[in-house]
Amino acid sequence: MSYQTRREHNIVVLGAGGVGKSCLTAQFVQNVWIESYDPTIEDSYRKVVNVDGRQVVLEILDTAGTEQFTAMRELYMKQGQGFLLVFSITNMNSFYELAELREAISRIKEDDDIPLVVVGNKSDMEDDRAVPRARAFQLAQSWGQKPYFETSARRRTNVDEVFLNLCRQILQKDSVRDQMYEHHAAQRRPARPRHEKRKRRNRDKCVIL
Amino acid sequence: MLPPPRTSTSTTSSFEPMTRQNTFSSQDGARSLRQSKRASMTALLVSMNARERDLEISDDLARAQRLLRELKVKISSQSKKNFVLEKDVRYLDSRIALLIQNRMALEEQNEVASHLDEAAELQEGEFPNDEKTQKYGNLLFLLQSEPKHIAHLCRLVTMAEIDSLLQTVMFTIYGNQYESREEHLLLTMFQSVLTHQFETTPEYSNLLRQNTPVSRMMTTYTRRGPGQSYLKEVLSEKINSLIELDEMDLEINPLKVYENMIKQIEESTGTLPEDLPRSVTAEFAAEHPQVHAIIDPRLRTLSNLAEGFLDEIIVAVEDAPYGIRWICKQIRNLSRRKYPDARDEAICTLIGGFFFLRFINPAIVTPKSYMLIERNPDDKPKRTLTYIAKMLQNLANKPLYAKEPYMAKLQPFIQRNKDRCNKFMLDLCEVQDFYESLEMDNYVALTKRDIELNISINEVYATHSLLEKHSTDLARDHDSHLAILLRELGSAPAQLPRKDNRAIILPLYSRWESSFDDLTQQLDITQEEILFLEAKSTFVQIIRSLPDRSRALSRPLRLDRIAEAAGTLRNDPVMVRKGIRCVELLSTLSDMGAVERADDYAVLRDEIEQELAHLGSLKDKVLEETLKLEDVYKTIRDHNTYLLSQLETYKNYLHNVRSQAEGVRRPSNVKEKSRELGPYKFSHAQLEKDGVIKRSNVPDNRRSNIYFMFRSPTAGTFVISLHYKGRARGLLELDLKLDDLLEMQKDNQYELELEYVQFDVPKVLALLNKRFARKK
Repeated sequence: MSYQTRREHNIVVLGAGGVGKSCLTAQFVQNVWIESYDPTIEDSYRKVVNVDGRQVVLEILDTAGTEQFTAMRELYMKQGQGFLLVFSITNMNSFYELAELREAISRIKEDDDIPLVVVGNKSDMEDDRAVPRARAFQLAQSWGQKPYFETSARRRTNVDEVFLNLCRQILQKDSVRDQMYEHHAAQRRPARPRHEKRKRRNRDKCVIL
Repeated sequence: MLPPPRTSTSTTSSFEPMTRQNTFSSQDGARSLRQSKRASMTALLVSMNARERDLEISDDLARAQRLLRELKVKISSQSKKNFVLEKDVRYLDSRIALLIQNRMALEEQNEVASHLDEAAELQEGEFPNDEKTQKYGNLLFLLQSEPKHIAHLCRLVTMAEIDSLLQTVMFTIYGNQYESREEHLLLTMFQSVLTHQFETTPEYSNLLRQNTPVSRMMTTYTRRGPGQSYLKEVLSEKINSLIELDEMDLEINPLKVYENMIKQIEESTGTLPEDLPRSVTAEFAAEHPQVHAIIDPRLRTLSNLAEGFLDEIIVAVEDAPYGIRWICKQIRNLSRRKYPDARDEAICTLIGGFFFLRFINPAIVTPKSYMLIERNPDDKPKRTLTYIAKMLQNLANKPLYAKEPYMAKLQPFIQRNKDRCNKFMLDLCEVQDFYESLEMDNYVALTKRDIELNISINEVYATHSLLEKHSTDLARDHDSHLAILLRELGSAPAQLPRKDNRAIILPLYSRWESSFDDLTQQLDITQEEILFLEAKSTFVQIIRSLPDRSRALSRPLRLDRIAEAAGTLRNDPVMVRKGIRCVELLSTLSDMGAVERADDYAVLRDEIEQELAHLGSLKDKVLEETLKLEDVYKTIRDHNTYLLSQLETYKNYLHNVRSQAEGVRRPSNVKEKSRELGPYKFSHAQLEKDGVIKRSNVPDNRRSNIYFMFRSPTAGTFVISLHYKGRARGLLELDLKLDDLLEMQKDNQYELELEYVQFDVPKVLALLNKRFARKK
């Protein structure tokens, strides 16, 4: 038994309804292909993976694509450290929906450079392609050179790759942050959080209520 | 097996039943068709009579109906206002967040400020010239009465365009949520769009799955008045009692349970036993006996809770809004047509994909955004609600595979309830169609002169411009009515700046009239029947207008006496005319052999008695519905107040930020900005009463000695201090910035601590807004 704390990394899978978020997640976590229709409300999984020789625990949150549940998204974005933005290459609207998600993430995270992978799923349905590969690639690039992968949950193509890539981005971001923190800590006293409420108490009086 | 067809539409179908019976079922064949036509004729006669306004019936029923009608109009217009406000608040929510994070450029601040100013209510006005009014009146009449155009348009627009189109469609063109004609036309539009979706979706499993203009339409539709009151009725009580139990932990994910368990053990004993490792796999956790012991009773509790929700939903099947049930019916019919071999279970999956997934479950998971509760629930009840929604979803969908292995433990719940859930979903579909009455309603609309639409000039222009943009698809046939109107209108004007935009009342009428003769011909109704119906409705009017104790009303009714009584009334020429007409009608009908003088016109008399009995029970229904709708109206108004106060907060905040920014450059404003406002004094009791104090640890007998001072040293900063009577200085003091409060609210932190008391953040915000509004 090791007492070394293993950090957990929260991954959130976002995207429109029916693009295959759950199928992608189930392939990654459980190696199964789900044939049946089963809309998600909110599912969570844990998987331990080996990334470049390190053991990493991934907490994966699979979310609802159904638009009626959008009220829950904000909370997911707060909790998540890395995001898979999934669309279906056979559906243009699902691709359009990503921009809004990306905008919300960077707003909520107060950061434009969040670990993120753009995922075009259903690559096995090339005949029905509606979103040109180049266009998706361009979009991902325009968000700070984020990677774009085309996956097929059905054939298990590129499934591990998207999760591992995201995981590496998170680790990378963490180590940069750690270095910065040490650097800052060495330089000056920690800054007071920006929005701290100040409470004063008049200690000179005895208070009995 | 399907249950037998019902004899009436759903009880909350909410439409003004007037004297018409909406009861016809396609299964009864010719007889019912005839009945429906007769019913429709009655409606037409009543509507024509109403147009003459010759007889104001003012019995209890009429008064109750009038009240109900007014209430419905208010709900419709208020929910439109809320829809628009919600959009503004949503927009500002995201902008204000940026502003708090100091990440917004000045130009953008200005843009937000102008948006805020625009959020005010529109002024009334009219089109600059009559010709435009007339042309747009023709266009909108066409759009309203022939839903196929909008249905077509909904398929052509992008997701970006759909929102403003939906606003116009759901809240303006078909905005009278309780008026059968507009409701039916809207549903016809749904059907056309749904049919198209069924035709173009290749795979069964993809149906209704994606977010499309159709799904957006459904969302908007479910949030209108009837859907709203239904959700409140079936869910509100259950959810509210559940969130009271804020410490009830019903987590059944073994990993989470295990982690919580060892955390508690560690906290209470200081160490962790050897056999409880810190990080474990899901399988290890699931197998652990202690975890089992925790989870098993929770599974039972969850099942009971979910069954409680299901009971409530199933019992209220007749309360489900007609339109929502009708959509379920279309889903069923369309799937049967496209997949004749589909089993009922498969069809129920699709119905559940609408009814549970898009209507019930979102409200369970995020009840605050459906106005069912006032605050976001705490974490534990929130998780419980999510579980309940997941269980209901599984029940409706019955997936073969449990994505999360631990959810498989809830299989007994599914097995126990799946049959009744399926039956419920099929029951939902058992509502009548409305095509016959719609056709009739449309004719009625043609004969009426006073159909109007409350709409804004910009809505008209935006609709026009969308039609223009897609005119090659929409008006392919150059001789179609739509093509002619679009040609005559020319190109769509640009949107007006919001300050020039006006709310107008647009009279609608058709360029292409159809005559009353065509109608009788099309409906295949004989002269005899028309006279019979006229006699019936005139008698009913007379009876409702006669004083209750009139001798003419003794039973059994003698129609000739009633006609005579009306014909000889003094001081009421209208009644006299009606009476004389009735005498004529009785004699003509007797000559035709439709009624017999010898049996006191029994055929007609019985129908009149039936009608009166129907009207009698109608009054109770009207009163009952009024009560329900008053509740809905109150909820909608409360929500409106909340939205307005939210906008006001943003306005003040933005004003502060900008005046600070300006202050640097232009010191003219400094005086107003830096002037200290307050202090204002509030007693403990008062703040408690207003809900500003959420919880208080001050002993009851000391509360009267406690008071609070609120002051604002500079714009956007506040100091709240707690005082004890007789002491010069405050005991506690809290410095606050508006930013902080807004951010807390945004993060769903609703509690503000001041040692002995807990303030409620939104209420504090409202109070500060009211007291410390600075001059702009």
